[in-house]
Amino acid sequence: MTASFADLSRRSLLATAALAPLVLPRILRAEGQGPLRIAALSPLTGAGGTYGPAMVKAIRAVVEEANKAGGILGRPVELVAEDDQTNPEAAVRAARKLIDVDRVAAICGVWASSVAAAVAPLCWESGTFMMATAGADALTALPHRGFFARTQPNTTLQGKKFGEFALSQGAKKIVMLSPQTPFAQSQYENIAAAVKPAGGTAELLIYDDKKPSYRTEVQQALRGRPDAIVLGGYLPDTTVLVKDLLRAGFTGTRIAFAYSVNQKLIESVPADTVEGIFTIAPSPAEGSPAWKHMASIAGTDSPDPYSTQSYDQANLLLLAMQAAGTASGTAIRDTLRKVSQAPGGTKVGSITEGLAALKAGQAINYEGASGPCDFTESGDIIDCQFRYEQVKSGKLTLLRIA
Amino acid sequence: MLSYLLFSVTIGGIYALLSLALNLAWGGAGLVNLGLAGFFGIGAYATALATGAGAPLAIGLVVAMAAGVLAGLAITGLTLRLRDDYLAIVTLGFGEIVRLVALNERWLTNGADGMSGILAPGKAALGVAGFNQAWAAGVTLLVILVWLLLRRLDQSPFGRALRAVREDQELAGFAGKPVLRLKYQAFALSAAVAALAGALYAHFQSYISPDHFQPLITIYIFLAVTAGGIGRPVGAVLGAYCVVAFLEATRFLAAVVPGIEAVQVAALREALVGLSLLLVLHLRPKGILPERIPPAPKAPS
Repeated sequence: MTASFADLSRRSLLATAALAPLVLPRILRAEGQGPLRIAALSPLTGAGGTYGPAMVKAIRAVVEEANKAGGILGRPVELVAEDDQTNPEAAVRAARKLIDVDRVAAICGVWASSVAAAVAPLCWESGTFMMATAGADALTALPHRGFFARTQPNTTLQGKKFGEFALSQGAKKIVMLSPQTPFAQSQYENIAAAVKPAGGTAELLIYDDKKPSYRTEVQQALRGRPDAIVLGGYLPDTTVLVKDLLRAGFTGTRIAFAYSVNQKLIESVPADTVEGIFTIAPSPAEGSPAWKHMASIAGTDSPDPYSTQSYDQANLLLLAMQAAGTASGTAIRDTLRKVSQAPGGTKVGSITEGLAALKAGQAINYEGASGPCDFTESGDIIDCQFRYEQVKSGKLTLLRIA
Repeated sequence: MLSYLLFSVTIGGIYALLSLALNLAWGGAGLVNLGLAGFFGIGAYATALATGAGAPLAIGLVVAMAAGVLAGLAITGLTLRLRDDYLAIVTLGFGEIVRLVALNERWLTNGADGMSGILAPGKAALGVAGFNQAWAAGVTLLVILVWLLLRRLDQSPFGRALRAVREDQELAGFAGKPVLRLKYQAFALSAAVAALAGALYAHFQSYISPDHFQPLITIYIFLAVTAGGIGRPVGAVLGAYCVVAFLEATRFLAAVVPGIEAVQVAALREALVGLSLLLVLHLRPKGILPERIPPAPKAPS
C-alpha cells in the first residue's frame, strides 16, 4: 500500500508535467488569430485578499462586455486570472506562467507595491504591458521603457494635495506626525514643496507607532506653534495621538488620511477629540458616466477605489489594442496615451462606447470610473480626484470631491 | 513554455537548497528553524549590498554565506537552552526581526521599496533566454554539489554525532560528544546554505524587498522537507522540486475546474496544498524517501 503510493505520487507528478506540453501547441497556434489574452494578477489570498476578488470581477466584467461588443480586433478576449498571494515571490511565479505559458499581452490589477516592483522587470523584459493600483513613488522610476502605468495617485500627488489643502485652510506652519511607513518621507517632502511657494514651512516628526502616549511628541511638534498638523499614521496610533493633541490644547487645523480617521475611530473616542478633523483620500469619480456604468456591471452601489481602477485598466488595455490594430504589449505601450488622453477626442467611459467611437474613426479620450485616467511619460496619472471630508458632530461630512 | 519550465527548475533548485539547509538543522540535529526566511533574506540582502558596492558575483555569494554563518552562530548562542517548540518560536521571531530591520533601516536596505536592479550576471551577454538556461543549469549544479556534500556529511562520524544529539542530547554529551560545538556547526552551516539560496534568488530576480521574506516561504520549505523525508538529503531535494511542481501544476488543474471564480481557484489551490500534506503524512508519515538508519554493527563475540 505504502509502496504503491510512492509510485502513484511520482506518476501523477510526471503526468502533470507531461500534460503541460500537450496544452502548449494549442496556445502557440492560437497566437495571432485565436482569442487574445490579458491577465489579472490580483491578491486573492493574503493581506490584499479583501480587495482582489472585486478587482478581478471588475476586469472580467469589462472582458465580457468587450466580447459582447464583438471582441477586440475581431478576436474574442480571454481573461487569465492568477493569485499573487500578496507575496512578491509567489507573484513572480504566477507572472512567469502568465507571460511564458498564456502569453498575455498585458497584466493588470496588480495591487501591492512590492508585488508590482517584483513583477515589473519580467513585464518590461518580455514586452508585456503592466498596470497596477500600487502607490509607491519608486515604481514609475524603474527603467520600465514605457511598459508600466498605474491608476493610483503616487505619494507625490497625495503629498501635494495635503499641502495645498493646508494652504487653503490658511495654514503656513505645518508639522507632519507619522510613524515609519514606506511613504512618510516622500509625503512630507511633497507637502513641504507644495507650501513653500506660498511662504509656508513644513516639518516632519517620526514616532514609534506602538507607544501608549504621545505627549512628548505632541509637545515637540507644538514647540514651533504650527497652524496645521498632518496625521500620517494608521488607526491605532492616530487614536492615541488625537487625544494627546486635544489635551495639549491644540486648536489649529488637523488633516488626516481617510483610512485612519474613519467612522470606527470617531466612534471610539470622545466627540470633542475628533471634531473638525479634515480627511483626504483618493476618490473614485463618483457620479461620472463611467462610474455609474462600472457600479451597475459590478453590481454594487459603492465600488471601492481599487475595483474602479481595475475596471479602468482593463478598458484602457483593450481600447489601446483596438486602436493600435495589434494585440501586443508593445502596441499598448505605444497607443495607451492616444486612447486615454487624445486632445479633443470623444469622451468615452466604457468599452462599448470606446469600440463604437474607434470603429467610427474618432479619436477618443477615456474618462474612467476612478478618474480622468491621463498618464505622464513615466506612467503616473496626471491628476485624480480627491475626496475631502470633515468630522462634524461625530460624523464624516463630505466637503467636496475635487 | 520552455522559459517557464526553466524558471520553475531554477526556483525548484533554490527551494531545494533551502530544504537541504532545513534538513541539516532539523533532520540532522533536531533544531527546528522557523526563521529560515530570515536567513534567506540575510543572504539576499548581503549579496545585494556587496555587489551593489561593486563586488563581483563570487564575492557576493561568499559575503552572503559569511553573513549567514554569523547570524546562525548568533542565533545558536542566544538559544542554547531552548529546544523544540521554544526554539521554533524564537527562530520565528528572528525571521520577523530580519524582515522588520529590512523594512525600517532605509539607509541600508531602501525600506519597503526594496532593492531593484541587483546584478544579474550574464543577463546582458546571454539575453533573457540564455540567462534563464544558464541559471537553471547553474543552480541545478549547485544543488547537486551541496547535496553531495551534505550527504557525505550525513554519513560521516559528524553526521552520526548530530543524530545522537537529535535523539538525546544528554546521552550524547555523556558519551563524550561535544554537543554545543555540534549545534553551533550544524546551525551555522545550515544558515550558510539558506543564505546561499537567498543570494542566488536575489541575483536571479534582480529585485528583493522585505515582503519577499514573509514566513510563507518557510512554510513551503517545511512542507517540502516533511513530504520528501526528514533526515535524508535526497528526500529534502525531491520534496522541494515536488512542492514547486505541485504549486505550479495546481494553477493548471484548478483552472480547468468548471464553474468557479478566480478567488475560488485560489482557495482550491491552497486547499490542495493542505490536502496533499495530509495525504503524505497519512500514507508516508516519514516522507516519500524516509531516513535510513543503518543497523548498529554487531559487537564482536
